[in-house]
Amino acid sequence: MRNTGTDAREWDGEMTMNAIETSNLTKYYDALCAVDDLTLSINNEIFALLGPNGSGKTTTVLMLTTLLHPTKGSATVCGNDILRNAEEVRSCISYVPQDMAVDIKLTGRENVRFFADLYGVENAKDRVDEVLAVMELTDRADDLIKTYSGGMRRRLELAQALVHEPSVLFLDEPTIGLDVAARKKIWEHIRNLRKKGMTIFVTTHYMDEADQFCDRVGIISKGRIAALGSPSELKARLMKDVITVRIEGECTPPHIEGVIFVGRTGDEVSFTAENGSEALPVLADTLARSGAAIRAMFLREPTLDDVFLQAVGQQEEPHGFEDAKFRIMLRRRK
Amino acid sequence: MKGIFTYMKRDFLKWYRGRVAVVSALVMPAAWLIFVGLALPVKFTGNYLDFITPGILVMTMLSAGLSGGALLMFDKILGFLNKFLALPTPRSSILVGKILFITGRGLIQTTIILVIALMIGATLMSPLQYLLTYFVLFLFGVLISAFATTIALYLDDHDSYSAFSTMISMPLFFTSSALMPYDVMPAWLATLARLNPLSFAIDAVREIGAGIIPSLSVILLVTISAVILGICMSVFRRVTI
Ligand SMILES: Nc1ncnc2c1ncn2[C@@H]1O[C@H](COP(=O)(O)OP(=O)(O)OP(=O)(O)O)[C@@H](O)[C@H]1O
Ligand SMILES: [Mg+2]
Repeated sequence: MRNTGTDAREWDGEMTMNAIETSNLTKYYDALCAVDDLTLSINNEIFALLGPNGSGKTTTVLMLTTLLHPTKGSATVCGNDILRNAEEVRSCISYVPQDMAVDIKLTGRENVRFFADLYGVENAKDRVDEVLAVMELTDRADDLIKTYSGGMRRRLELAQALVHEPSVLFLDEPTIGLDVAARKKIWEHIRNLRKKGMTIFVTTHYMDEADQFCDRVGIISKGRIAALGSPSELKARLMKDVITVRIEGECTPPHIEGVIFVGRTGDEVSFTAENGSEALPVLADTLARSGAAIRAMFLREPTLDDVFLQAVGQQEEPHGFEDAKFRIMLRRRK
Repeated sequence: MKGIFTYMKRDFLKWYRGRVAVVSALVMPAAWLIFVGLALPVKFTGNYLDFITPGILVMTMLSAGLSGGALLMFDKILGFLNKFLALPTPRSSILVGKILFITGRGLIQTTIILVIALMIGATLMSPLQYLLTYFVLFLFGVLISAFATTIALYLDDHDSYSAFSTMISMPLFFTSSALMPYDVMPAWLATLARLNPLSFAIDAVREIGAGIIPSLSVILLVTISAVILGICMSVFRRVTI
């Protein structure tokens, strides 16, 4: 099954130009390298750029949407060079930035109509009604944005981006700050767009979303792609089972046959094993003998988190760090 | 150009729904008109109100233009500019839309100042004179709003923008011919005043009031506006964030 899928994609790639093509795309902010030698081809899929805060996701999107010039390298969107044919690039994309921006003194309909007019959409009025209906905003369309919730504002931004039927849609963290239901709704809309043949380039730092909803994932860390492939491929590259051990204090990863150390976040140490249930007691014994204080052990299927951990190593800055800080805060409070 | 009208309409709609700012922007020039225009004992002219009104009109346009630059600053801070720059709409229409809104708003405000001036004793002019006055104010509005909007594009935050606008508005006003004619100024001030673009606009409006066609000042104003507009448009076309 997987084989035929891959073939189909390659076949597509030969027939038509890839929607997004980057080669050695690099961006320096003074001495800081935000995006480092990125080479990607993306065609007719939901592609997620997955990475922690500050890994260069937004910088990549800004270059591809022609808002920022790369320091080195080049990229094409729908066959147009982002430097030489910037105007053409802009006419085949839509971009929803990470930070929400809708005019709160205007109504939902006015906000969408504004973009329809800027794009020069034909039959603007009908088209606006149509996208508002698709985003399930029809009954609130004439209310001021002031009265909209965060999830509704995000959907309104999607409606704005969709009025001109772009071939490539860039979404920078489309679900940040939304609750589970609102996130799910946004993703359902994104899936529907994909079905209609749109290419969607999305950035996120939610592993579960990338895992569930995206066709292909590029894990980015410090501006470099650390792993690239479909979520199932990436997980299959790890071994079958994942064992997570909660340990107090230090621990030296033991060498056991068939068990591979993946990484550590906070007090949780992860391993993969060919056969998890047999490896579990062996691992427990070995760790106990080496003097580690085991608090709990879990056996589960691999997730993208494990892929991420293996590809990137321990997350230094973002979540792990803040978790630890938070725990210290809690302890102090007691 | 595509999009200009749409950008302008958005700003007018937001302004109309804001309201408070409509009145507050008029307090300063109205106060100048009443307290300085009526109260200052001067010897060089019989009707000081008629002398100072052109200065106050141009001052109203100046502050409308400078406060208008903050609009782009807010669009930038709030993330709208990023969205606009990624649109296929020509980027220079963002600038031209802003210029037309800011200048249009300034003209509405100067109209109110004109009415107040008439009510407190300024001389009524002919329709042609008013038409020419509006034309000069429009030119000056284009000049100042193009300049202010482009400065806002380059400054990082609203604080530095408001620092910039207070820094230039007072000196520009006091080194212009707004308050007194060149021959009663000290020599150094007269030199500065003759170079100040504010004076071109003020002198033009004054000449219109005296029944003269202000060809020299208008030519100067048109030239400067065209140059500044050209520079600002090419800056907008090439901008990255
Ligand atoms: N304008 C800028 N000037 C200097 N450095 C910048 C600028 N913008 C981003 N950076 C730096 O570039 C790196 C990448 O930033 P970027 O915004 O692309 O990350 P990101 O992956 O989008 O993060 P997040 O998940 O927080 O949005 C960061 O280290 C950031 O500090
Ligand atoms: Mg980002």
